[in-house]
Amino acid sequence: MFSRRDFMTQGLLPIFAGSAVPAVFANGVAAAAADSPKATPSDRVLVLVQLAGGNDGLNTLIPFQDGAYHDARPTLRQDQGVLTLNSQLGLHPNLKGLKASWDAGQLAIVQGVGYPNPNLSHFASMSVWETASVRGGIGDGWLGRYLNYLDQVGESPNHALEGVSAGSLVPPELRSKTPVTALQSLRTFRLQPVNEHGTQVDVENPLMKFYSAFKGAGPAPFGALLDTTLQEALQASHALQATDATYVAKGTYPTNSPIASALKLVAETIVSGLGVRVAHVTLGGFDNHAREKPVHDKLLLDLDQALTAFMQDLKGHGLDDRVLVMTWSEFGRRVKENGSAGTDHGTAAPMFVLGAPVKGGLYGQQPSLNDLDNGNLKFTTDFRSVYASVLQGYLKAPASDLLGGNFEILPLLKA
Amino acid sequence: MDDAASRTSPATTRPIWKRPVSRRAVLATGAAGATATALAVLWKGDALSQILDRVRDLTHAYQGALNNERVRVAHLLRRAGFGATAGELDRYLAMGTAGATQVLLDYPKTSNASLDAALPAVDPSGGRGAATVAAIQGWWLQRMVETARPLEEKMTLFWHGLLTSGLDKAGPAQMFTQNQLFRKMAMGNFDDLLKAISKDPAMMIYLDTETNRKGKPNENYARELMELFTTGIGHYSEDDVRESARAFTGWTLQGSQQRRLTTDSVFVPRLHDAGPKTFMGRNGNFTGDDIVDMLAPLRVTAERLSTRLFSFFAYPNPEPEIVHHLADTFQKNRYNVGAVVREIFAMDAFYSPKAYRALVKSPAELVAQTLKATSADAKGYVAAATAMAPMGQVLFYPPNVAGWPAGSSWINSSTLLTRINLANSATQRMRTALPTQSLDNLTRTLVDGNLSPSTKDGLKAYAAAHPGDQAGLLFMVLATPEFQLN
Repeated sequence: MFSRRDFMTQGLLPIFAGSAVPAVFANGVAAAAADSPKATPSDRVLVLVQLAGGNDGLNTLIPFQDGAYHDARPTLRQDQGVLTLNSQLGLHPNLKGLKASWDAGQLAIVQGVGYPNPNLSHFASMSVWETASVRGGIGDGWLGRYLNYLDQVGESPNHALEGVSAGSLVPPELRSKTPVTALQSLRTFRLQPVNEHGTQVDVENPLMKFYSAFKGAGPAPFGALLDTTLQEALQASHALQATDATYVAKGTYPTNSPIASALKLVAETIVSGLGVRVAHVTLGGFDNHAREKPVHDKLLLDLDQALTAFMQDLKGHGLDDRVLVMTWSEFGRRVKENGSAGTDHGTAAPMFVLGAPVKGGLYGQQPSLNDLDNGNLKFTTDFRSVYASVLQGYLKAPASDLLGGNFEILPLLKA
Repeated sequence: MDDAASRTSPATTRPIWKRPVSRRAVLATGAAGATATALAVLWKGDALSQILDRVRDLTHAYQGALNNERVRVAHLLRRAGFGATAGELDRYLAMGTAGATQVLLDYPKTSNASLDAALPAVDPSGGRGAATVAAIQGWWLQRMVETARPLEEKMTLFWHGLLTSGLDKAGPAQMFTQNQLFRKMAMGNFDDLLKAISKDPAMMIYLDTETNRKGKPNENYARELMELFTTGIGHYSEDDVRESARAFTGWTLQGSQQRRLTTDSVFVPRLHDAGPKTFMGRNGNFTGDDIVDMLAPLRVTAERLSTRLFSFFAYPNPEPEIVHHLADTFQKNRYNVGAVVREIFAMDAFYSPKAYRALVKSPAELVAQTLKATSADAKGYVAAATAMAPMGQVLFYPPNVAGWPAGSSWINSSTLLTRINLANSATQRMRTALPTQSLDNLTRTLVDGNLSPSTKDGLKAYAAAHPGDQAGLLFMVLATPEFQLN
């Protein structure tokens, strides 16, 4: 039997029409979300929040009682307002929403996450995290492999919104054999009609024919790619336009916050029952080699407010039990601050895993500030162990196959 | 070494980089397609499908496109530049393919006076705001569209995507200065360019050489210099990174201005680590220039840059013979980039069926060619440059130090809709100024007159149903899948 992937690679993808239209498009989309309070694994959504540039883990999960922290950070240390989790560790003062999730038992924090022989290049280290391979490379991303897996086992909803990225490009961790939709706003995600002297001329049908005709005649692989992409875009666009009017946010998203807008867009696609399985948003600006404090403080505030609104929104729609949020960054920062009130590239840092399915608490071990490797923390938990825990414990996917190895499963999730 | 390497090529067969790849073979075998199909049924399994694929390749309609000189010149102008207006195409066509190639390559001989007169005055020295950024983006886009030296702008874009810096760290004035450096050194020697970019303020901020000090080395630039700019990963050690980072100490930003505003750098001896270093097995009191002098001659550097250039101009994943030949050219010409580019445009592979429409137009190429078709005013350039963001390419702002991933990554559901919508808004914007052109003229200029029969019919039907709607018709041509490719 041909899988979707076979169709894609051979340029044989059929045009979805009539009976081939996925049910989620054919039916009222808002209803699809409401009627499944108990989610099956394939209904579950993983939302990745990338903190791009290398987040300062020591000023995120703060070892406020450790003298070595205060010594290493004479200007950058957080002296006041740390949101204490226990006698040793606390969250950055701006992470009030995450602290509330912690108190509700819905925030897992994995400490000291990294990988062997850490690479201090942004690009190389991102590639390691994105591919879940210490060699990096340009192969499918680790979540792209999950999408491929859904396809192989017939769990794929088979349409354009299965993987969603808020932004203009599809991030490498979603690189897969199935198409992933990059979304920037629902308003612009449509084909504009031609304005002929004030009359709106719909051009969808002729353009679909152009692209369909080019599918067989154009050079491989672009003929098929262009045709498939237009079909997928128009399907997704129609579905999104249909829901635009019905979605009402049930969380208070801050304005003028790109990360909040991105998460709101993701929430809307989830709430609208469009079959999202994995979503990706990026918050950039963490590479603070100089004058770090005001920038980092603001980034964490934006992150916290956006995540808080997102979780409220999902809860308001009764969907909080089927959405898990995970943050990641390519590396942490150097323990000792540099001469410019900033920090250089480092290694291990904490990861947040957030949501109702989570068994809250601290996992792994906080790395020692007195046992460093060239000034950098020694990682205590391999990031692939966190991935494996989410793949296996939450998405119910074969983690060792998808990650190419066996990694310790952390009990991050409720049974 | 070069002699030994070239001797390994068998003398009896013409090497692939000279051989008229399948262009002539196709013409010869095209008629045999039916026979091959008949023969193929006698085969089985994979062999059958391979033969059928091969026959389809040999017989489908686009194989012969580059056999037409107008199409060849249009292809050349798409690759060596940003496409052509009808007038430009006629002018280059009158020179013939060889003559046009020569003129494009020898661009210093071509006056750019009319572009210089048309460009708005841009002064990014004072600001970091959105208006300053938009001004330099519009300025560059206007250059791409209106230059009389298209290859100069194309190579500037090439270097911007390889030796990356970006507005996420550097300031607009610095990016603007770097852009002129790329333009000035676009076709020169690679080692000279690397030495210059090592001291370029935008690069120094982007990859942190400005904080690279004796006793406090910063590895960022040294690492990317090898990983991305020269050898590629796997050809250096972490020790090489650390040691070469020390070699690059000493250069710092000049002046008391804010660090994101200054556009000059200076060597300060007391900040330079003059001590002995070991780099790739050699010992010496190396400077940054010494490191470049050791990286430029490496065969892996030659092969990597050759692959990158060929993939940018012709098609991705070039055959090993092509890379070998270009790397030889690079090394025999003292790391001269122009020599490699000249060789690429002389190759039969460049005009082979494999090269035709083998690249996806980057947003810069797509927007520039669209504006050539619609024309634009100064505000239009700024608006179009800004509109590139949702297509995934913002000039002066690559997504990361690796530059923009090319090819199919330009196409996803969001970017495709945006690309088509951009053509719509650009044609609407200029709707009252568009000259009347026949459908045939439009398609001949923009898509080689080479469209699927049903698309041709669809365009004719659109023209018939909407008489006098020049903007709508031009939009429909710009929205074709054929126009998305280069």
